[in-house]
Amino acid sequence: MVSVQDVSKQYTSGRGRVTALAEISFSVQSGQGIILAGKSGSGKTTLLNCIGTLERPDSGSILCNGRDICALSARERALFRRQEVGFVFQAGNLLPWLTVAENLQFPLELNAIRGKMQRKRIEELLTHFGLGGYEKAMPAELSGGESQRIAFARAIAHSPSLLLADEPTASLDSANGRQLIELMFSLCRSQHTTLFIATHDQELLEMTDEIIYLKDGRMRQSL
Amino acid sequence: MRFGFILKISGLILLRSWRATVVLAFMVVSAVASLVFLSSLAVGTNDAMIRNSTELFSGHIIGTDIPRKGDARLLAMAGVERVLIRRQRQFLLWKEDALEPVLLVGIDPVQEREGTALSKKTVRGRYVEAGEEALYLSQDTARRLQVDVGNEVSLGSRLGVPLKTFQVVGIYHTGISHLDQGQAFCPMDAFPGEEGFISTAVFLKPGTSIDNIVAQYRKILPSATFTPWMEFMPDLKQLIDLDDMCMAIVLTLVFSIVSVGISCAFLIFTLKNLREHGIMKAMGVLPIHTASLLVTQIGLLTVSAAAFGTLLGILAVSLFAHTGIDLSDFTSHNQYFVVSGVIYPRLTGTALFAPPLLAVSFGSMAAVWPALYVIRKNPAEILRSV
Repeated sequence: MVSVQDVSKQYTSGRGRVTALAEISFSVQSGQGIILAGKSGSGKTTLLNCIGTLERPDSGSILCNGRDICALSARERALFRRQEVGFVFQAGNLLPWLTVAENLQFPLELNAIRGKMQRKRIEELLTHFGLGGYEKAMPAELSGGESQRIAFARAIAHSPSLLLADEPTASLDSANGRQLIELMFSLCRSQHTTLFIATHDQELLEMTDEIIYLKDGRMRQSL
Repeated sequence: MRFGFILKISGLILLRSWRATVVLAFMVVSAVASLVFLSSLAVGTNDAMIRNSTELFSGHIIGTDIPRKGDARLLAMAGVERVLIRRQRQFLLWKEDALEPVLLVGIDPVQEREGTALSKKTVRGRYVEAGEEALYLSQDTARRLQVDVGNEVSLGSRLGVPLKTFQVVGIYHTGISHLDQGQAFCPMDAFPGEEGFISTAVFLKPGTSIDNIVAQYRKILPSATFTPWMEFMPDLKQLIDLDDMCMAIVLTLVFSIVSVGISCAFLIFTLKNLREHGIMKAMGVLPIHTASLLVTQIGLLTVSAAAFGTLLGILAVSLFAHTGIDLSDFTSHNQYFVVSGVIYPRLTGTALFAPPLLAVSFGSMAAVWPALYVIRKNPAEILRSV
């Protein structure tokens, strides 16, 4: 379960102090898939980053399975991300110098899943995502859809409890985008992974009722 | 994160970004190869200076107070190229009213001609030959005695008792004061009487440890005195030590500059891959592992480039090690280049290992800046900005 309580965050930029998040509060059950919707600059990415411990909120707390992740040290946050979080970014997610299999190997190595178990998991992921035979392919050789599927496979390779996707369909056509989101929802449901997708794609909003709307860092409509 | 995995990822990054790797490696390869060659050239230059100084007459080791002539033969051992035996004693030389005290040195003309370059310093006449009652005089002594080639001079004891008459067959000039003043040479069989101190000039093969040979000599002939060239030519020793120091400074300076170059180039390379570092940090890679990844990349790059550079340097040295680099045209005006103006680059432990070791240590330092840059960056900041 993820519980966000009164989370606020401000940035200092050339425009002065900008409120990225203002007193955001909500709770999400394990295995639930949530869409964070809003226009560009509404605070979706900042909220995603705070939940994923990439950023620390100025105030408020975020509890993940009862643990306040805002109180963690830098090292603990890195270890939390390593074990509990999977990220899918907008584009250019994959490490360009590693093959598809090596990209999938990365989070497994980080989590000390090695040897036979590692090989089995990589094979399983490639088969599941319909990318069998792509083991030795380089990211540059993949299409946008294939690349995002591999990024998704890598994000869930170590079975995290949280999957955070920031505009994962931005570089895809609508059919591929829809297919990817459907895959995300179904896999997260089956693995009890809590899913957060930040998007401003109207089409995706029709795929679920579990949406948090953000505007200027404030929640406009809760779950 | 296992070191093996860090090593694998570092290797793959270098291999699959081969263009950038080649450019970065080129700097290290060229620096190491040049400096292996330059260091060997510096050793060769020192060798040439020593050769020009010792092969004129003295050898690398002077042995004095040798008890018997036969004892000198014990000095021939591994690492020794030649042992020249000489007999010497103070006499008086005179011609008419001119009188000059000299140190007369009895030599084996054939062996001396083979092993020393004194005969090349003849300004008039010729070098002495075995079996003749002849003298080879320094120009200064000849001038004082007012004699020239073909003249006869008398030789007597220091009390003025006449012993022998010699014909002057050659006059030399070396430009080195202790050889140019008060010295005269005659064939060993013409040396008057049986008295006279036995001395030796020992010539070593290149790369032989002079201290080791001197130590062995002192064991074999404890009553004799053995002096290495560093003690009787302290000015040359000082020059060579300064030369070595200068070379060390050049090596350090070159690698400092190269490492700044590597650091800048590697920072650009790291900035190009900054988003990937951001993704890895987001995946939970710890700062120590980010630093290890960058240090290992530079380490792998410099180690392999330094190894390749060392091989190239060895190749360049071996190309010139036997033929040498002939600088005679530039050295002919200098009278002290009596033996040769050819420099033979020679690899020593320092010349071989100092450049690659410096490259690797300075190269590792070059990783600090890019590593600190990436570690300090927040992953969210990286992902937002790139």
